[in-house]
Formats: sequence, structure tokens, C-alpha cells
Amino acid sequence: MLSCRCLALLAAGAVALPSPALAHHSFAMFDTVNKVTITGTVTTFEWTNPHAYIEIDVPDAHGTVKHWSIELGSPSILLQSGWKYTMLKSGDRVTLLVNPLRNGQPGGMLVQATLSDGRVLGNGPGAAPAQATPPR
Amino acid sequence: MKRGVALACAVAALFSITGDARPADPPVPAAQLDLTGVWGPYRAERESDPALLPPPAGPVVLKPEYAKQWEARRAAEADAIRRGESPGSPATLCVPYGMPRMMSVAIYPVEIIQTAKRITIVTEAFSEVRRVYLDRPQARIEDVPPGYYGRSVGHWDGKALVVDTIGIKTTVVGYQNLPHSDQMHIVERFHLVTPDVLHDDILIEDPIVLERPVTYTVAYRRMPAYEMVEFVCDNNREYLDQTGAVRMRLHDR
Repeated sequence: MLSCRCLALLAAGAVALPSPALAHHSFAMFDTVNKVTITGTVTTFEWTNPHAYIEIDVPDAHGTVKHWSIELGSPSILLQSGWKYTMLKSGDRVTLLVNPLRNGQPGGMLVQATLSDGRVLGNGPGAAPAQATPPR
Repeated sequence: MKRGVALACAVAALFSITGDARPADPPVPAAQLDLTGVWGPYRAERESDPALLPPPAGPVVLKPEYAKQWEARRAAEADAIRRGESPGSPATLCVPYGMPRMMSVAIYPVEIIQTAKRITIVTEAFSEVRRVYLDRPQARIEDVPPGYYGRSVGHWDGKALVVDTIGIKTTVVGYQNLPHSDQMHIVERFHLVTPDVLHDDILIEDPIVLERPVTYTVAYRRMPAYEMVEFVCDNNREYLDQTGAVRMRLHDR
């Protein structure tokens, strides 16, 4: 079911981001003040450079599905924060906390991913959480 | 005469075995500082020793005609960011950084491979490569085709490695986005401040653009267990719109 709610975390300290993607571009196109939580089904997990991506179908309360593209750091950055390229696959159900695109399109930058087995992963060293939590 | 012929035959035999026209690069002498290994950025983190962090960078003083352009560009980029627009750069389009920015890209490490006659530096971000020749003189700047890495030669000054680089093309975006001319000259001094912390003191001279040299230091920590990750930019979804702002290409289902 859809879970898309703006959390409006306005405390600047709570949204401090690491600098991993600065290798490639600035973050200004993402709204780094507000965060959105989306829950849905992974269609692809692209372990690629300069960024990895999670493609995900997110249903709303009426069952209408919207597709989102979520940008992550590079594989190097992700490896340093506990990710593996095998952690997501098509069909997995995940919950993603993202900084949405400012232009309102269904895309964003990952802040935190909660995998189907309960593991929680950030988007680079220094991002919350810094380390993957052990599986439940 | 006979000894000379015998020596020539021995050398010829060696080359025929190796299949190479030149003798192999000998290993680093045991007494010399060996920088071989992976080095990651040494940054201000909880476990960092403030005394090992880079000293403050020197001031940037451009010649007046370049200062005006540089300040105008910085102001425009700051305005764009305030508006929520990401200003683009060559790196946004996966164009490598080149010298000197390649030496300090976010949290990406660099790998140094050292032999007696050459230092090779490979960066993780964009897999850039520099070759520093230790056994050759520097060329004249007009004899070096401008490129991203130019031509680097180096020598040991006690326990420091001094590297001299020329030939960086003017389209390569500089430190702090500084412009530069084809006369830019970079001098680096690599030295260990502890056995596991390396500093690269960088000095940039440019008689056309800079009023005085720019200096700054990049600090690295040794990462003995780290294996460099490949970085082939084959899925770049960022592009620049007509205003030059970065946009992200979305995928459909």
C-alpha cells in the first residue's frame, strides 16, 4: 500500500548529508530539507556509476501505481556504508526515505533504505545510519 | 671488444626473452620512502587528529581581469544553488577532473604505485591515471600537448617526493573552479606526516591568471586493506538543461 508522507523535517542538523555524490554533481536539485517515505516494490537495482539507482513501483491508497527513480551514491560510496550489489532485486518490497526532486517529478535521492528483512542502510559514510543494522 | 660483443648479446637475449625493447623498471630501493598503496582522504572526523589535518589553504589572488570573471561566476552559481538549481560542470557529464582536482574528489581514494623510475597515481573516481617520471627532465611547456594530466616529472628531496606538472589544457576546471592559462605550473610535495598519513602540498603558479601562487594541502590516510573499486561511468542519468542546470533523467516502469 502506498506510504508517501512528507515528514517535513525542518531541523537543519537532521538533514546533514554526506558529500559522496559531490564527485559528480551538487545536490541542489533535491529538496534536502524535506523527506518523503515511499514503500513499494523494486523493479530494478542498478549497481552502476556514477550513481546506483533503485527503480521502484509505489502504489497509492487507491492502488494506483506511480513509478519512482531513486538515486544513490556510487558503488564505492555504498560499499563503504555496508551495501552489497545483491541486497536488492526485482520484486523486493522496501521502504525508502528520500529527498525528493524539487521539480515534483517522482524521483529523489536516497537518505535511508529499510529492506524487506529489516536491515536499514544509509547512503554513504556519515549518513544515518552509518552502518547496516544486522538482520532480524 | 669481445667483452663488448658478449654484453650486447646478453642484452639482446634479455630483450628477446621479455619481448620488450627496454629493461624492466627496477623495484624501489629498500632505503627509499615507499608510497605504494591506497590512500583515502584524511578528513575532520571524530577519530581524526586535528594536528594531521591539512593546514588552511592560502589565499586566492587572481589578476584583476580574471578575478572579476571568477567572482561573477561564483556569485551566479551561489544564486543558482539558492534557487534549487544544481550548476553543472564537466564532471556532471562524466568528463574526468584532470589535474589538480583529481587529487581530492569527495571521499574517493587514490592508489599510488611506486617503482624506482616512476610513480603512477590512479584515482578511484573516474579511474584517472597520472604518471610521474623520476628519471627524466621536464619538457618545455610548448612541447607538451595540453591534456587532463599534462606531463609530470618528480624527484626525491630527502623524504619528500617533489612533482612538477605542466601541460594542463585550459578547459580543465581548476581548483575552486579557478581559470588557468596554458602556462599553469603545478608543484607538489608529497611527504608523510606520520607513517600512515600523507600530505600533498600543492602549489599552483600561473603568470597569466594568478597574481601570486595558490597553495593548499590534500591529506590522505593509508588504507592497507582497501581494494580499489572500478568506476566506469556507464549509467549517467544527469544532464544539463538549456540553462545549464543539472537535471535527473527518470525511468518509466
